[in-house]
Amino acid sequence: MKRNLIVALVVWVGALLIWAGPAKAADTYKIGGIFPLTGSLSWLGEYKKKGAELKVELINKAGGVNGHKLELISYDDQSSPETASGAAQRLVSKDQVVAMIGTASVPVSAAVAAIGAKNKIPVIVGSGYEVDAAKEPFLFNSAHRTDFAVARPYQYWQSKGITKVALLMPIGSLGELGSALGRKYAPTYGITIVGEEKFDIKAPDVTAQLAKLRTLNPQAVFSFCTGEPAALVARNMDQMGMKIPVLVSHGNANPGFLKFTAGLSLPILVPAGRSALPEAIPDSDPCKKVIVDFSRAHQQKYGEPANYYSAEMVDAVDLIAAGLKATGSDDPVKLRDAIEKIRGFVGMQGIFNFSPTDHHGTVLSDMMVITPKDGKWTLLLK
Amino acid sequence: MGSNTPELLQFLFSGLTAGSIYALIAVSLVIVYKVSLLICFAQGEFFVIGALTMVTLVSKGVPMPLAFPMAVVVSAGLGAAVERVLIRPLRNSGVGMLIVMTVAISLALRGSAMLIWGKESHVLPPFSSGHPINILGATLQPQVLWIVGITCVVLVAIWLFFEKTASGIALRACAENPLGASLMGISTGRATFFSWAWGSAIGALAGCAVSPLLFMQYTSGVMPMVKGFIAMSIGGLESIAGAVVAGYLLGIAEAYTIGLVSSQFSDPLVFTILILVLLLRPNGLFGGAKRRDI
Repeated sequence: MKRNLIVALVVWVGALLIWAGPAKAADTYKIGGIFPLTGSLSWLGEYKKKGAELKVELINKAGGVNGHKLELISYDDQSSPETASGAAQRLVSKDQVVAMIGTASVPVSAAVAAIGAKNKIPVIVGSGYEVDAAKEPFLFNSAHRTDFAVARPYQYWQSKGITKVALLMPIGSLGELGSALGRKYAPTYGITIVGEEKFDIKAPDVTAQLAKLRTLNPQAVFSFCTGEPAALVARNMDQMGMKIPVLVSHGNANPGFLKFTAGLSLPILVPAGRSALPEAIPDSDPCKKVIVDFSRAHQQKYGEPANYYSAEMVDAVDLIAAGLKATGSDDPVKLRDAIEKIRGFVGMQGIFNFSPTDHHGTVLSDMMVITPKDGKWTLLLK
Repeated sequence: MGSNTPELLQFLFSGLTAGSIYALIAVSLVIVYKVSLLICFAQGEFFVIGALTMVTLVSKGVPMPLAFPMAVVVSAGLGAAVERVLIRPLRNSGVGMLIVMTVAISLALRGSAMLIWGKESHVLPPFSSGHPINILGATLQPQVLWIVGITCVVLVAIWLFFEKTASGIALRACAENPLGASLMGISTGRATFFSWAWGSAIGALAGCAVSPLLFMQYTSGVMPMVKGFIAMSIGGLESIAGAVVAGYLLGIAEAYTIGLVSSQFSDPLVFTILILVLLLRPNGLFGGAKRRDI
C-alpha cells in the first residue's frame, strides 16, 4: 500500500515536472513574424525580416525586456492571404506568441489581423492597410498611411504651381485605390484631374495611353504603381518627350528602382519615410539618431543600409518591446492596452502617438518626397 | 483626323513594340510544332534565359554584338540538352504526356532562373544608343526597329531553311509522316533534336532583342508565352508567316483598343479574335485545308 503511494507520488511529481517543463522554458517573450519571403512581394519580405531580426538582436544585446529575451519566430506568407492566415494561426496556437508583426500588402494584413482579433493577440502590420481602431482594437500599423503618399506629393506640386494632373493607373485594386485617393485629395491642394487612363501591369508598353493623356495637356502624371510598371511608365514618358513630373507609389524607395530608372531625364517623384534618405534629415530631428544608429548596425550585419521597408518592422518590434516594458507582463490583452497608450515614441518612421482612435500613430509630415538623380536619391520635400 | 495623327501613329508604334514580342515567341513555338507536333510550354523560359544570359554577359564586359549570339547559342544548347535528356525518353508516349513534360520543364527552368539570377529584374541597354525617333509627333524607340529587322531576317532564314534546303524538307517530312520519313532514311529523333535547338534559339533571340524594352526577371516569360501561343493559334499552328502576321496583328489590335476604347477591353479583344479565327478558319489565317487524322 505504502509502496503504491510512493509510486503514485513519483508519477504525479514526474507528470508535474513534464507539464511544467515547456512553461518554464518560456523564459523569452515570443513575437511572431509573417513576411512575404517568396511570391510577388518577396523583394519586400527580405528587407522586413532582416530589419526585424536585427532589432530583436540589438534589444537582446542590450539586456532584453524586463529581464526576458525576445524571440522572433518567422514564417513565409508566400505573398498570399491564405498562407498568411495559416501561419498566423500556427503562431498563435502552437508557438504561443504574445504579438505578431509583418505582412506587406492589404489583403495579407487583413488575413493576419483577423487571426489576431479572434485570439486577442496584438498585431502590428507594415502595409497600406487602413486600421479602423474602433472596430479593430488589436491591430496597429507602423507604415505611413497610404493617403500620405498622395497628399504629401500633392502638397509639393501645389507649392510648384502644378494644377493639372493626369492619372495613369494599373488595372486592379491598387490602381482603383490610387485613382480614388488621387481624386480625393485633388481639391484640397488646388489640383484638377484632367483625365485618367488604365494599363495592364504586364504590358510591355504604355505609350498608347500616354499619347491619349498628352492631348489633355497635363502638367504632371500620377501613376500609383510599384517597381517595373512604374519604371516603364517613366521610361515611356521620357521616350515620348513628356518631360513633366511623374508621381509613383511609395513602394519605389529602394535601390532597385534607381537601377530601373537610370538615365531617364524626367522628374520621378517617390514618397518615402525619413529612413530612405538619412542624410537629408536635420540634426534637430529626434528620429535622426534612431535611424542613423540602426542603419549603421544594419550596414555592419548585412553590408547594406536599412531602408524605408525595414524601418516599418524595426519600429513594430520596438513598439512591442515598449508595450511589454510598460505592462511588465506577457499578457497579450494588457500588451495591446499598453501599445495603445504609447505617446511620443521616437521611431524610424516618425514620432508615434497612438490613441484609442488612431492606431497608425504617424502624421503627414513624417512622409518626404524624394527623386532619383544621378543614380542616387535626392530630397524634394522634407 | 489631321490633329489626331500623332496619337494614331503612337498607337501603331505601341502595337509594333508588343507585336514584335508576340511574333518572335510564336515563331519559336511554330518551329518545334512543325517538326514534332508538340507545343512546347517552356518557350517562355528560353526567352527569359536567353535575355538574362545576355544581361550577365554584357555586365561582365562582353561587347553586345558578341553577347547576343553567345546567349542564343547557350540557349540552343540548353534546348537541345533538354530534348535529349527529358523529351527523347518519352518519344513513344502520347502527345499529352509530352505536353505535360514541357510544362514541367517550364516550371523547372523558371525555378532555376530564379536561383541563378535572383528575383529582381534586370535591365539591358538598347542595342544602339540614340534618341527615340520622332515621326509626325509620335515617337518610336530605335530598339523596335532592331526587333522588326531581326524578325525579318529570322523569318527569311527559316523560310529558306524549311522550303529550300534538304535538311529543312527532311524536318518537315518527319512531322507530316514520321514512319514514311524514317523509311526514307530520315532520323526522326535527330529532327526533333534540331527543332528543339532551333526553337530555343529563336526564343532566346526574341528575349535578347526585346529585353531593352522590358525589365527581365525569372517570370517575365509567362505573358509573352501566352500571347505567343494565341498568335500561333491564330496563324494556323504550323505557319511561320502566319505566326508573325498574327503576332503583329494582336499587338496592333491591342494598342488601338487601348487607345481608342479602353485598356480593359484589350484582353477580351484578343480572345474574341482567337475564338472567331477558330470558328471561321479552324486551320488559322494561314493554315491550309489539310487533315491529319486519316
